[in-house]
Amino acid sequence: MTGFLDNVLTGLALGAVYALVALGFVTIFKASGVLNFAHGSLLLLGGYLTAILHDDLGFAGALAVAVLVTAAVAGAMDRLLLQRGEQDPRTAHVQTIVTIGVDIVLVTDLARRIGGDLLSLGDPWGDAVTSLGPLTVADSRLAAIAVSALAIAAAFALFRFTPWGLSLRAAAEDAEAAALMGVRLTRIRTVAWCLAGGLAALAAVFLAAFPAPGLERTTGQIALKAFPAAILGGMASPAGALAGSLLIGLTEALVAGYQTELHVLGEGFGDVAPYAVMVLVLLVRPTGLFAAKGATRV
Amino acid sequence: MSDRIPRRAGALVLTLLLCALPFYLDAFWLRIGLFSMAAAIGAVGLGLLSGTAGQLSLGHAFFLAVGAYGYVWLAGEPGPGLPPALALVLAVLLAGAAGGLFSPVAGRVRGIYLGVATLALVFLGHHVLLTADSVTGGFNGRSVPPLELGGFAFTDGDPELTVLGVPFGAEERLWYLGLLLSALTWFTARGLLRGRPGRALTALRDSETAASVMGVHVARHRSAAFVVSSMYAGLAGVLLALAFRRVVPDYFGLALSVDYLAMIVIGGLGSVAGATAGAVFVTALPLLMTRYADQLPLVAAPGSAEGSIGPTEAARYLYGAAIVVVLLYAPDGLHGLARRTRARLRRGRSAPLPSDPATPSRPAASAVRAKEHTP
Amino acid sequence: MNARAPRPPRTAPAALEVRDVTVRFAGLTALDDVSFTVAPGSVHALIGPNGAGKSTCFNVLSGLCRPVHGTVRLGDAELTRLAPHRIAALGVARTFQNIVTTEGTVADNLMLGRHALSRAGFAASALRLPRAVREQREHLAAVRAIAELTGLARHFDTPVALLSYGDRKRVELARALCLEPSVLLLDEPVAGMNAAERARTAEVVADVRTELGLSVVLVEHDMGLVMRLADEVTVLDFGRAIAHGTPDEVRGDPEVLRAYLGGDAGQEDAA
Repeated sequence: MTGFLDNVLTGLALGAVYALVALGFVTIFKASGVLNFAHGSLLLLGGYLTAILHDDLGFAGALAVAVLVTAAVAGAMDRLLLQRGEQDPRTAHVQTIVTIGVDIVLVTDLARRIGGDLLSLGDPWGDAVTSLGPLTVADSRLAAIAVSALAIAAAFALFRFTPWGLSLRAAAEDAEAAALMGVRLTRIRTVAWCLAGGLAALAAVFLAAFPAPGLERTTGQIALKAFPAAILGGMASPAGALAGSLLIGLTEALVAGYQTELHVLGEGFGDVAPYAVMVLVLLVRPTGLFAAKGATRV
Repeated sequence: MSDRIPRRAGALVLTLLLCALPFYLDAFWLRIGLFSMAAAIGAVGLGLLSGTAGQLSLGHAFFLAVGAYGYVWLAGEPGPGLPPALALVLAVLLAGAAGGLFSPVAGRVRGIYLGVATLALVFLGHHVLLTADSVTGGFNGRSVPPLELGGFAFTDGDPELTVLGVPFGAEERLWYLGLLLSALTWFTARGLLRGRPGRALTALRDSETAASVMGVHVARHRSAAFVVSSMYAGLAGVLLALAFRRVVPDYFGLALSVDYLAMIVIGGLGSVAGATAGAVFVTALPLLMTRYADQLPLVAAPGSAEGSIGPTEAARYLYGAAIVVVLLYAPDGLHGLARRTRARLRRGRSAPLPSDPATPSRPAASAVRAKEHTP
Repeated sequence: MNARAPRPPRTAPAALEVRDVTVRFAGLTALDDVSFTVAPGSVHALIGPNGAGKSTCFNVLSGLCRPVHGTVRLGDAELTRLAPHRIAALGVARTFQNIVTTEGTVADNLMLGRHALSRAGFAASALRLPRAVREQREHLAAVRAIAELTGLARHFDTPVALLSYGDRKRVELARALCLEPSVLLLDEPVAGMNAAERARTAEVVADVRTELGLSVVLVEHDMGLVMRLADEVTVLDFGRAIAHGTPDEVRGDPEVLRAYLGGDAGQEDAA
């Protein structure tokens, strides 16, 4: 039983971190119709900045700078590279592929800088653990859950209560009508990209923290598991992305936890289980689990 | 129509040239050519899917792996040990079947969303390659049994062969195999694109609605495009395996899928010639940079100090940037560039055309957005 | 029997019967118990103010939109249960109000119209089997004839994106004709065209109707064109069919006048 609870807690912590990534991914999609394949490299950038700055600025300072810089890079990427020329239905497709190009450059550069190293992010939790009744939990996991919950709550508050959130939802419903009503689409988009970049940088901390060995050049690829989460959630729904992330996190943790029982699937299946879940769900519901109006646009 | 004769003559000259190259080039260049030809075959397949049908795929590496490992297993030991030529054909069919298994998703998930769905193939496929040791050899992979056709082996000996004073080793022999398979790819892909399926795929990319009211069975065509693209990937995988002589799981990762996407974007979406040009560019660039690293500014020789820019990295920077630049400034890629140059040359010779046939790259975008009167 | 030469509609003309069709979008009733019958070989106009449900009606007829209830029958076939590509195969072709052409030349677009009439699949086209090559050649000839009929012959190899607005609309009409339809649905075929282009298109519609004997359902704001071409007119207003009849009958109908004058009519040259 403790084993099960242990796995569930691990799954929640993972899911919470994936949710940070997936939420950003979905926000970008809502605001611009683009699937940001550079999301993993933005996350890696955030992690890298925290890693190289924490000696000088302390962890909190380094993280703050990393979040701000990553947000700025994401925003700049949208402003300078994507929002060019006329916007028609096919541009979203073209821009999606542009993000792949950006990803190649960013990942190549960061991977070159990181090399074969494992970078410590200097987080305050280290390998400390806390006992919760029969369970022993890594502090970093509890922090992941708490911080993600706060960040996600803040993001949802932004969606719901700020003029930006209102405009974002209006623009996602009908960009043309929103523009006619005076919504500044370019600014809304850019803010969405910044928010997503910041969330990705935050997520990097927890993907590199204990029990992970540190930030590696492949950490960005771990973030790709948030893509299935976003797809499961129906792409355009932040709440769906949250639910999808928890589902993915739990699946991964449980599959990894019961690896011996699931031996047929091979060692390390937990790492790819999110993708298996995504394929199974797409077989049944091509528009995702929680899709309201789905991914259909003519 | 009057282009036709010079164009045919051009193709003939090019073919002769390609056939003559093994007599003049050393193994290094032949290997670059071989990898480029394999990549071109795969890229043409991806171009058909992502360029013509507008279905983004990041799962191409998976189907390359199915082809490569399929061949190795079918022709090798452990495995049924079939005649290699038969194994080649079956490996291609196997890749097609794998694509067919995914078609419930590939037929219904549209455009860029398919890009995310196909990520699953790469990661799940990689997992299978690592864990199904008995078939794939696990982390260390397997060595590739050489191709044999009627007693003629595509290896350095068996039989020894010298043509016009040039010893024909594995590279020379595989070069001609590559040429043959590339020609087959061009022939079939252009037939597809200029025929009924190509028009249907273009139509469903540009407007699913228009395609369906014109009688195109949308889901079936999407699935079929996926299957065909997987088969080209499978063929490319076999050729790559033969060229590498060893297959390992880590080669067939997400980065490989992204490479193929880079090829078709840089070459110009939706054209066979473009996909080929892009494939040569993306494949040859890192190899050439590695060879000439000591003569290039800013690029360090491979294995130099940590943090310096090695040739592989330099190549990746270049083609990552190339994707961005091409999409922002010349969405029809190398192919469009060539077409524009040709049009300009032709105009220089003859009377100016009333309008420039090479300018449009985003067709009728404004027309699609024409304001509607009623819902 | 692999490839077919151009010919008149493949099925004997059948009546298109629309019965009690109701369509709702998110609480809004776009079509409310609409019924009308298009007699074989006739031109039937659907008119009404903006937002009356004309295009929705077309979407039902071509299978793009499912009604909550009601039926559409073409001969023995019940269209509301069929996917769009099946309806196309039955010989129902349509054009769109906002032009929807695809990349490529006029010839490519028209050949798309032959999709349902041809059979070459992926394998046959990839291997360029003789029957696929022959089929393509025969259809190209048929399509060229239709391009001539619609005045597009000199643009045959021009990319569609380079054509004028009027010509692109004509490509859509020609593409629909390439399907050799027994029912042709035209959604505002002359909108945005100048007078000469309008006359040309009207001529083409009248020609194909008399020569090929097909039924035409026409949505159009140009009342002059409607009065000239239509045998029968159905007037829609707020999703309901408020009048049926010959052009002359409809023109005098007080209900129709109210709908138009209360709406945003006015500019129609009802002369």
